[in-house]
Amino acid sequence: MATKNVNYNEEKGLYYKVLFGLLLLTAVTFIQPHLFLAGSSFVPQMIIAVIKAYLIVIYYMHLKGEKLIISMVWFTLFLVTVFFIIIIGIDVANFQFGAESYITAPTAHH
Amino acid sequence: MSHEYVPEIATDRDGNEHVVQGWQDDFYGGKLGFWLFMFTEVMMFGAMFLTLAYYNALHPQDFIEASAGLNRWLGGFNTVILLISALTMGLGLLKMRSGDVKGAKLMIIATIILAIIFLGVKAVEWTHEYEHGIFLGLPAMQGGHEDSMPFGKILFFGMYFTMTGLHGFHIIIGIGLMIWLLKRMNAGKVTPEHHILHWNIALYWDIVHLIWVFVFPYYYMIGAGVSVATGGHHGH
Repeated sequence: MATKNVNYNEEKGLYYKVLFGLLLLTAVTFIQPHLFLAGSSFVPQMIIAVIKAYLIVIYYMHLKGEKLIISMVWFTLFLVTVFFIIIIGIDVANFQFGAESYITAPTAHH
Repeated sequence: MSHEYVPEIATDRDGNEHVVQGWQDDFYGGKLGFWLFMFTEVMMFGAMFLTLAYYNALHPQDFIEASAGLNRWLGGFNTVILLISALTMGLGLLKMRSGDVKGAKLMIIATIILAIIFLGVKAVEWTHEYEHGIFLGLPAMQGGHEDSMPFGKILFFGMYFTMTGLHGFHIIIGIGLMIWLLKRMNAGKVTPEHHILHWNIALYWDIVHLIWVFVFPYYYMIGAGVSVATGGHHGH
């Protein structure tokens, strides 16, 4: 059976609040290079993106209170972190195939 | 009535008849299945982001300079367009759940219009880049060519066209899904009591938005500090 009916006027406020938060964060992405950490925008930009993603997932994708799906999300993030970021990160830090690589310039052997 | 359930009967070897359990109204199962599909989407784009990060680690300076050359205002405009489309899609679902089918249809039509605007802006961006000689297959993006860009920039723009192209393809599929949803609503097959299709297409639109939330800063903003430091926008 579908979810129980809702009252549109009671619930729409939340959607507008989340929209306001997302617009504010988008504005922050634009003023960040002018305000702080101008030389290394990567980390602050990604932190802002994660906060925006959290708002979208919890409120727009209705994950608030969905314990099973939230635990699946955390488990997936854990797998990605361990196998993709940490293990491959070690590989990147010790890159040793410059001579036969297609992802580094042919002349710039590491 | 389109949703009238006709039970299926199975007969065991002793000739006894049993009603087969039907799962047509399993709302939670439908939602869970769609979440599993969305995890596969995250894995596909996640692998691309991983590749991007790998290339970025090998060519940090090229990536920052290439990013500084993208048009941040068009990218930002599209970010806001998608953001508002996520709102219209969400409000459409809310209207459906509260029984206002006509209002839900209007919200879906608004979302389709916003999606078309997004694609139009993307087309303008790609056209500008093509006119500046930056596109898949052009000499600037072929390693070893006398007109080729620095190697890291070739990788950056290669991934840029691949990922924004795949994302744009998802937008096109989303428009198709929304048109299909409207047809199902007109046929009376998606109703306030049976709206799992609407729910899942709204989820699809949110995942498309979510992917853009990471695509935008990684491509358009990581080089923003360079433009600020040198006092202007870098051209191609």
